Amino acid sequence: MSVRTIIIDDERLARNELRKLLQEFSEIEIIDEASNVDEGIEKIEQHSPDLIFLDIQMPGKTGFDLLEALDRAPKVVFTTAFDEYALKAFEVNALDYLLKPIEPRRLSDAVQKLSLEAFKENGGGAFSTLARANALLTENDQVFVKDGDRCWFVKLNEIRLFESVGNYAKVFFSTNKPLILKSLNALEDRLDDKVFFRANRKHIINMRWIEKIEPYFNGGLLLELKGGEKIEVSRRQTVKFKEMMSL
Amino acid sequence: MKGTISKYWLCQIGGWSTYIIVYTFFYLTLRTKEQPFFFQVLFLDAIIGIAITHLMRFFIQKMGLLKLRLDYQIVYIFLTTIGFSFLFAFNSIFIEDLLQFTSEQFKQYSTLNKTLRASFGCFLFLLIWNLIYFMYHNIEKNRQEQIDKIRLEGLVKELELKTIKSHINPHFIFNALNSIRALVDENPGRARQAITELSNILRSSMQAEKLETAPLKRELDIVKDYLALEHIRFEDRLKVEYDIDEDTLDMPVPPMMLQTLVENAIKHGISHRVSGGTIKITSDFIDDRHELSVENTGYLNGNYNPEGFGLYSTQNRLMLLYGEKAHFEIKNKENNMVVATVTMPVTIF
Repeated sequence: MSVRTIIIDDERLARNELRKLLQEFSEIEIIDEASNVDEGIEKIEQHSPDLIFLDIQMPGKTGFDLLEALDRAPKVVFTTAFDEYALKAFEVNALDYLLKPIEPRRLSDAVQKLSLEAFKENGGGAFSTLARANALLTENDQVFVKDGDRCWFVKLNEIRLFESVGNYAKVFFSTNKPLILKSLNALEDRLDDKVFFRANRKHIINMRWIEKIEPYFNGGLLLELKGGEKIEVSRRQTVKFKEMMSL
Repeated sequence: MKGTISKYWLCQIGGWSTYIIVYTFFYLTLRTKEQPFFFQVLFLDAIIGIAITHLMRFFIQKMGLLKLRLDYQIVYIFLTTIGFSFLFAFNSIFIEDLLQFTSEQFKQYSTLNKTLRASFGCFLFLLIWNLIYFMYHNIEKNRQEQIDKIRLEGLVKELELKTIKSHINPHFIFNALNSIRALVDENPGRARQAITELSNILRSSMQAEKLETAPLKRELDIVKDYLALEHIRFEDRLKVEYDIDEDTLDMPVPPMMLQTLVENAIKHGISHRVSGGTIKITSDFIDDRHELSVENTGYLNGNYNPEGFGLYSTQNRLMLLYGEKAHFEIKNKENNMVVATVTMPVTIF
């Protein structure tokens, strides 16, 4: 029962300091560290950590850039010295963050909160320690989405729909629909096809969010989602859809 | 000003109405014998008076008499008044003659004679008119100047306050404290030294508000402390070079200006680069000017913001201190370097 953790910060001393503070928490196992965004992405893809401590201001790219580049965002605790812009983003989105120099009590709160979340998700077990770098994204996985000043960690089961817009995909969840820089085909490959269904060339829908199914022209179907979006299922995909539903 | 009457016309109408009323009053109470055409002449004079004074106002404005020094103004008021008195008198006599208003008693005199006689009375009226006019404008000008001065002072204060507040970037302070905390175990000696450096910087930034200029040596000491702290943070990523002409160390410079430039160089130059870079500080006499420059590895792309606080405040402070004699610029140099240069006059005032 350990939380596999990577520390990402451009300052060696800051990483050392955090490492030392984390020694107090036996459940945290620091498996690696990185000193910039590219190195961080590489290490995350290599180890699939459960948790990262992430500095915002790093040379060249920010911590937000790192998260946007990941398919699946691990649990994240942001660390920053003082950055008005970032602090605003945190307040708006209630993301977990620690101000450097880090207060041990706040760190302890953050770690506790994480354990609690893990407890809820995995029904008693702590974090799964399964290496799953290339595994499919499950419903409980979260993705990081940023749209201008606002950013979110979104659980896949909250997403109703992906819509293709050029090179981007528009992500529908709650009342928001920000854009992410990913193609629909790439998304389809990573998503669990029992939950996410490619309705046509432009849309991937979450089957759990379907409200109504109606017949449509040409032997196709028209699906209405719980958010009110109406999506047409192409004739070819209708066959596949019926097959899945008849199971 | 549509719908309302301007102050000027209010005074004109009020003044000349008073003139008519006063004359009528004396005429009705004190007259010894009836004057033919008294009221016609009185009204005619008031109307000519308005026309002449309006023309005089146009003349005063055209010549810019109000902008002259006060003693010149007095001379010019006098001359203008004399000139326009003749014009006033001549016009009023001429029109009266034309309209046959002239009393029998005066018909024997020539127009010139009558004009000269009337001029004296006109002179008094126009003098009063001009005194009021100039007094009003001078008082108004004075008041406006005072308002401007107060506004300017307020602006300067506000600017100073903003500059001081932004002298030391909070991001830097907290990062430095974080590094020092890590150093306490790793290298206690260096940690102690770092605390001294940080104290020096904080103290200097608090003192800066009291000074208009500070010797370069003092500013350089702060920057050295600052860069020593940043070196703890960046380690091998930061290299620092100095090229300082010893003679420039006593030169006065705006306090914390060099610090602001170095901070900018770190923030926009070094901290963005994974491999870091070099900062070079140069101070030298070029011709009869003192040139201070900060170079850093990096590239100035088009979207930097000249209104951004660091550069904006630097430019402003130089302007307040030296006026047009100082110069500030930031540009790309060869070898992937950005250089910010401040040029100041060697002798102030």
